[in-house]
Amino acid sequence: MLTTTRRGVMAGGAALLAGMATGRDAQAQSRRILVMASNQDIPNFDPHVANGYSASMALRNTYDSLVGVAGNPPKPVPQLAQSWTISDDGREYTFKLDPAAKFHDGSPVNAEAVKYSFNRLLRLNRGNAWMIAGVVDQNSVEAIDATTVRIKLVTPFVPFLSVLPWVWIVNPAQVEANKGSDDGQAWLRSNLAGSGAFRLRRAEAGNLYEFERVADAWRKGGGNLTGAIWKITRETATQRLMVQRGEAQIAVDLTSEDMDSLKGRAGVNLVIEPEYRTFSMKMNTRHGPLQDANLRRAIACAFNYQGMLDVAGYAELMKGPFPESIDGFDKDLPVYRTDLARAKEYLAKSSTPNGGIKITVAHVSGLEQQRRWALVLLDSLRALNIELDIKPMIWPDMVSAARSPETTPDIFMVYQTANYGDPDNLAFAGYHSSRNGGWQNPTYANPEVDSLLTQARAESDAEKRRALYVRFQRVLMEDSPDIFGVLEKRKLAMRSNVQGFAFTPVASNAIDLFPLSLG
Amino acid sequence: MSSTTAHPRLESWRRGLYRFRQSWVSVLGLLIVSVLLVLAIGGQHLAPYPQHIAGLVDTSARLQAPSTTYWFGTNELGQDVFSLVVAGTRISLLAGMAVVIVGAAFGVFVGAIAGFLGGWVDEVLMRLADLKLTVPGLILAMAVAAALGPGIVNMVFAIALSWWPGYARLVRGEVMAKREETFVLASRAMGAGTNRLLWKHILPNIMSPIIVKMSLDMGFAILTVASLGFIGIGVKPPTPEWGSLLSVARVNMPDYWWTAIFPGLAIFMAVFGFNLLGDGLRDLLDPKARR
Amino acid sequence: MVGYILRRLLLLVPVLLGLSMLVFAIARLLPGDPVALAAGPNATAADVASVAREFGLDQPLVVQYWNYLTGLFRGDWGVSIFTRRPVAEDLAAYLPATLELVLAAMLLAIGLGIPLGLMAAVFRNKWPDFLARTVSLGAISMPRFFLGLVFQLLFAMWLGWLPLSGRFPLTEDPPPQITGMLTVDALLSGQFHAFGVALSYLALPAIAMCLSPLATIMRMMRASTIEVLQQDYVLTERALGLSQKLILFKYVLKNAISATLTVIGLYFGWLLGGTVLVETVFDWPGIGLYATQAVLTQDFMPIIGVTLCIGAIFVTVNLVVDMLYGLLNPKVRYQ
Repeated sequence: MLTTTRRGVMAGGAALLAGMATGRDAQAQSRRILVMASNQDIPNFDPHVANGYSASMALRNTYDSLVGVAGNPPKPVPQLAQSWTISDDGREYTFKLDPAAKFHDGSPVNAEAVKYSFNRLLRLNRGNAWMIAGVVDQNSVEAIDATTVRIKLVTPFVPFLSVLPWVWIVNPAQVEANKGSDDGQAWLRSNLAGSGAFRLRRAEAGNLYEFERVADAWRKGGGNLTGAIWKITRETATQRLMVQRGEAQIAVDLTSEDMDSLKGRAGVNLVIEPEYRTFSMKMNTRHGPLQDANLRRAIACAFNYQGMLDVAGYAELMKGPFPESIDGFDKDLPVYRTDLARAKEYLAKSSTPNGGIKITVAHVSGLEQQRRWALVLLDSLRALNIELDIKPMIWPDMVSAARSPETTPDIFMVYQTANYGDPDNLAFAGYHSSRNGGWQNPTYANPEVDSLLTQARAESDAEKRRALYVRFQRVLMEDSPDIFGVLEKRKLAMRSNVQGFAFTPVASNAIDLFPLSLG
Repeated sequence: MSSTTAHPRLESWRRGLYRFRQSWVSVLGLLIVSVLLVLAIGGQHLAPYPQHIAGLVDTSARLQAPSTTYWFGTNELGQDVFSLVVAGTRISLLAGMAVVIVGAAFGVFVGAIAGFLGGWVDEVLMRLADLKLTVPGLILAMAVAAALGPGIVNMVFAIALSWWPGYARLVRGEVMAKREETFVLASRAMGAGTNRLLWKHILPNIMSPIIVKMSLDMGFAILTVASLGFIGIGVKPPTPEWGSLLSVARVNMPDYWWTAIFPGLAIFMAVFGFNLLGDGLRDLLDPKARR
Repeated sequence: MVGYILRRLLLLVPVLLGLSMLVFAIARLLPGDPVALAAGPNATAADVASVAREFGLDQPLVVQYWNYLTGLFRGDWGVSIFTRRPVAEDLAAYLPATLELVLAAMLLAIGLGIPLGLMAAVFRNKWPDFLARTVSLGAISMPRFFLGLVFQLLFAMWLGWLPLSGRFPLTEDPPPQITGMLTVDALLSGQFHAFGVALSYLALPAIAMCLSPLATIMRMMRASTIEVLQQDYVLTERALGLSQKLILFKYVLKNAISATLTVIGLYFGWLLGGTVLVETVFDWPGIGLYATQAVLTQDFMPIIGVTLCIGAIFVTVNLVVDMLYGLLNPKVRYQ
């Protein structure tokens, strides 16, 4: 047993090396399979239930939506809809569908399918439903004829086209046939009813998902991939090594250290681009010691911003609630920066002028950057004689903690990803009091902010809208409900034989396979 | 005890001590454990950067390779890895000791009850102990620790939950055997209570195997504590526990290997030291078990 | 004999029942909010309530346990709250990978442990003995996850000889599924290249896993061999001029098998539970990794499922080992 095992190991090693040299190349010529390394599983394929970027990746490649998104800055591009018109008051959108569009079973993607999909999304009220909730209702979508869809918005919503790439169209016939008692949720969880360029070939939950090109897909053109694999790789160091060794073509969750280590290596291209993904630390304005605005300001002034930036690597500090590239950003906004003297002045004005208190911060367990920032915060607060209790929590527990001010931790770390490049996306979700109890804005409420945001949402005059957002940012800075953190750059590493990749700063880790080729 | 019984016991101690000294591995074990104890007691003062243990971050000196300034290099926050590893000694040793003591105390309690009462109580308790053997202890400890949230006390509780059956068996067997022995019968005839019997006659007699088992278990307890830390459900940050240090350092491999290798080596040395010492102690205190 | 086996099998029922009750109680009495997980980040209170109803979590604990227990007999092990996949299906998918790893580690441990133990006994109290004993203590003391990381660092990252993680090259199709153990499947279907490839992925995690049982087998072999060598009849035979080799072969072989059996009984369940750490390090898609993910997301149905599954395998393996032991030593009475 001993000898066979040992020999076997050596044979295996040799076989692997040989396989890398010849076998894989030969195979790669007939089958061009792109491997993506990611740490997120795809637990659900239901386009109206699933969330997370891994699901977005799977769904945007297996389903289609009315419009897609491309370019930098991102622009809506035709997908199922060949063209569209918008009424003058901005409340009525008319889409002309591509007559060639068909589902995987051969049936056409028609206006009825669009209507069915929107209504199912709203009915289930999960997944991406929040993006259109309150904007579109069950009566909004109308099938004028087979290839014409009219959508009447309940309220004017300027960024409507920006959310459409994330509303996927299902095949009503297939869903109805497998409807069950839960609107087809059980069936769609692991089955596809889409029209996208790819379909699922192999699913090993928690390990990998293999997609293959649909032979007679309706969308013509695109890259030469015959398939792709979404490989769940929990360690970022492993993801990096897979790209380095050519075992994966794209890695999507790399740290700045990983990027540095890959820099200059032959055969590897790095994508380091700003994206609309903000990180901030929300302070509990309704319960506990941080109800005191002076204490919040003191903490905002004591925080070690440079340290935060250093451990983040490829990132830039936020200068308020908006990224600089978003229309409406106030470039003259006075922001808090590390200034211990000022921090102590604010502290002296607060109800605990000498510190001596203990506050808690919650972050998502397993998120390395958040762990580091929590430790930077702990060190910063020592200067104010404030003790910090760091609580790593699983995401669902954080979400339920945010439901009431009493259970919300004193400081609450969140990433917010803008799915569309409009100030409303970040501002409304993050600061309007109607979102209190949700993870994006657990506690902060200010009537003035509410009215500014509601007005801005409906304001179609760009100049007036900008002025409203500037006013909002000033009020917010005075209240200091957040420690505005960083805008992390999107960090992707890919083999240089990946062709056709064009960076778009929305959900770029949910790789769009259609245009990609392997050279 | 009279001097006539004390003499042979002393003699056997002396013989055991000789054997202990003869075996250089046991001496090595003692040496390692002594160093660990010194580090555990004086850690804060022996560490070159005590501020880093308290949570100071120095982001201008991140991920520096081992040098004369930073013996084990620095981590992703610019903290001195050597200081953190030194500070981790106390946590690992304390947690390991707590697990073993809680486990042993509970086990002795259960074992004594089962042994003295016998009957259905014995049956139920021992079946429960059997059941514990079939449960994958680590997974259970992981589940309990994860649900209770991070913290040393929670972790110790989660691990100790599946630590008692070994001791319970040991004590129960001994109680069963000793219960019938003449001197116990004699003292019972003289009216000694159960409590007194346990403390006066039974426990002193089985102290040696219990101590041997505890010292052998110590290494394994430290290992289990580190395992939980490694999975990411151990102590609260910034407590520098070895397993957690190793766990967060995985993202730094292979370029910044020192952030992972040194905490890992520390776990190994601690477990190794206690295992060697435990082996030696078994030779010393429990010659019957020696082969 | 048949009566004994039947009795042991019958005894399994209360053991597994007790086990399920224990694990269910522990898993369900812990704090944490599994329902929020299932409901999703934008759920309302009403959504949460409906999810709780869907999973039957709004019912009393006793009812929940009863439902779970009756489900077990129908092959329904509950549903993961996180993925909403049936736990039984997941276990079936993940178990072969773990079994492959554990069996490989056992084979390594036996294959290396027996000769090493023999050697230590023959050279008792000489340097090979000391070396073997110290190394075995070192092996027991070595944290498997740390050893796994060091292996990765050395053989995969720096030297590049062996794969870093996973079970099989991603872009190649694995051998046809028969047992689910890739090396075995490759052999059964005659794909020797695939066998070598699968083995190269298996090597590092299996070696990292095998050390504890290896050290134990070595010690047991050493001790029992020394005992044999000191027996009167062996001394006599030696005096009669029988060669050392023959004596060792004649008497030690049986010991080797007994020692091996004992260790299999002891370690099989332990290794199954212990794969958690190694599978996490090597991204090995087995029940250990599955359990870890479930623990980290506080998804209790998979935790209960994995624990029960390992418990059942442990009890069964021990039953088989006991019976084999009896076959080897007819003196042992079945009671």
